[in-house]
Amino acid sequence: MNDRGDFDAIVVGAGPAGTTAALTLAQKGRRVALLERGESPGSKNMFGGMMAYCPTPERLLPDFWEQAPWERAVTKRVLTVVGEASSTSVTFHADASAERALTGFTLYRPLFDRWYAQQAEKQGVTLLCGCRVAGLLVRDGAVRGVNLGSPGDDLEAPIIIACDGTLSLLAQEAGLHAGFKPSQLALGIRALYRLSEAEIDDRFGLTGREGATHEVLGCTDGIRGGGYVYTQTETLSVGLVMHLDSLKQRGLAPYDLLDRFVASPAVAPLLRGSRLVEYSAHLLPEGGIGMVPRLSTAGLLLAGDAAGLCYTNGLNQEGMNLAMTSGMIAAEVTDEALTAADLSAARLGAYQERLKQSFVLRDMTTFRRAVDFMHHDRLFEAYPRVVGTLMEKIYRSDGQPKQKIGKLGREALRDVLPLRRVIGDLIEGGRAFLW
Amino acid sequence: MVVDELFDLVSYRIHPEPHIRLDHERCQACTHRACTFVCPARCYTWSEERGRVEFAYETCLECGTCLLLCDQGALDWHYPHGGYGVRFRLT
Repeated sequence: MNDRGDFDAIVVGAGPAGTTAALTLAQKGRRVALLERGESPGSKNMFGGMMAYCPTPERLLPDFWEQAPWERAVTKRVLTVVGEASSTSVTFHADASAERALTGFTLYRPLFDRWYAQQAEKQGVTLLCGCRVAGLLVRDGAVRGVNLGSPGDDLEAPIIIACDGTLSLLAQEAGLHAGFKPSQLALGIRALYRLSEAEIDDRFGLTGREGATHEVLGCTDGIRGGGYVYTQTETLSVGLVMHLDSLKQRGLAPYDLLDRFVASPAVAPLLRGSRLVEYSAHLLPEGGIGMVPRLSTAGLLLAGDAAGLCYTNGLNQEGMNLAMTSGMIAAEVTDEALTAADLSAARLGAYQERLKQSFVLRDMTTFRRAVDFMHHDRLFEAYPRVVGTLMEKIYRSDGQPKQKIGKLGREALRDVLPLRRVIGDLIEGGRAFLW
Repeated sequence: MVVDELFDLVSYRIHPEPHIRLDHERCQACTHRACTFVCPARCYTWSEERGRVEFAYETCLECGTCLLLCDQGALDWHYPHGGYGVRFRLT
């Protein structure tokens, strides 16, 4: 290990943002310490989703996606709306030969994060595991290092990149925000089920290393959120993501909802014969661009979830690609600031400007209304019910004369949603998603 | 029911010192006790006998839900010491 104080930069958190930041700096010849509180990178991670394909890591490691231990390349995406006595799905299936940008990768992060951090180590990053940052060292109004728990147990460097996850205790300590609010965060819980590779291929209609994702709306008892089933190589991630304020308001326990979800007709057949092997929970940012705080102060930058860089617009769920890209840009700004020997708040403000030009903040800005739209309770209870009722009416065959869809739609809406509200939502939804 | 099985499947390395401390006095002012049902690890339970919320840190999943929902400032919340706490390492 280097002598303490011998680092150009300290990166806190060896997730995708932190490892990317550390790797970028090491490639520029900087001496970097990458601190991870878990016993190994990924050991605290419960990600059960899909990382949308992202070219960022390939800029650092050219054969990244050939080498990285991903589970399956997702070509099949199923969206299901659950009604009272039925469910309705839409499936997108990219050809197995389709270009990579149409796919994403499912990952088992305890393996993926460890591998990624090893690549960073090979390029000179000093990885310190089991290393919890207890606080920041601040001198002359600038962050100058971190404290590792006991008094005097400090690690100093001219600049810190905080990639310490959603709770972002370091961002709060640095005064960049006063803590996220329950309405800006979602609780994700996941049960991991083991099932053979061949069985998963058969059940989900996959070949080779293809993967599938299932997202389910209307399965959360009116809580804003949804359910998911994601395929890894030999495991399925099954769980729910729910807005924290809505969960509190509804007064339900997340594991009780999970219990119902795994037993529901839309999910139970996918899990038949599988074995439950792990359970986990985590918070994720879902407040959109409105929750992204100031991203730097003198001597400190934020990246990844710690910066609130994560969103869903209902169709895309993006986080890891934003984390890696923000980590890389944070490192580039850090490198330039170190060269200029200017680590002031004004200089590091360039980071926010750079992110605004990248897809990271541009996408979050594009979908700012979609994120707000996703905070309407009726999208998660009333509308799924209406869709279910309408589809049941369309397919009903009982010897009675049939009616056109418009009339059936009005019947399905009756006593559930006033037409005026639906028209309002169509306009709001249109502005959020269509134009 | 998968619920009861869920909690037995989590692996921990437990530190003898709690990483979260609950201030029972402040906790008493709470009217919603959301932690007792929203905590995904069931770390918080309402005790009728003692008339207060009881807290066990050992099975914490380190998600931070309690920190976000506690509006009484009753929690002294930290991550566990380095290398301790929950660990996901199934291979």
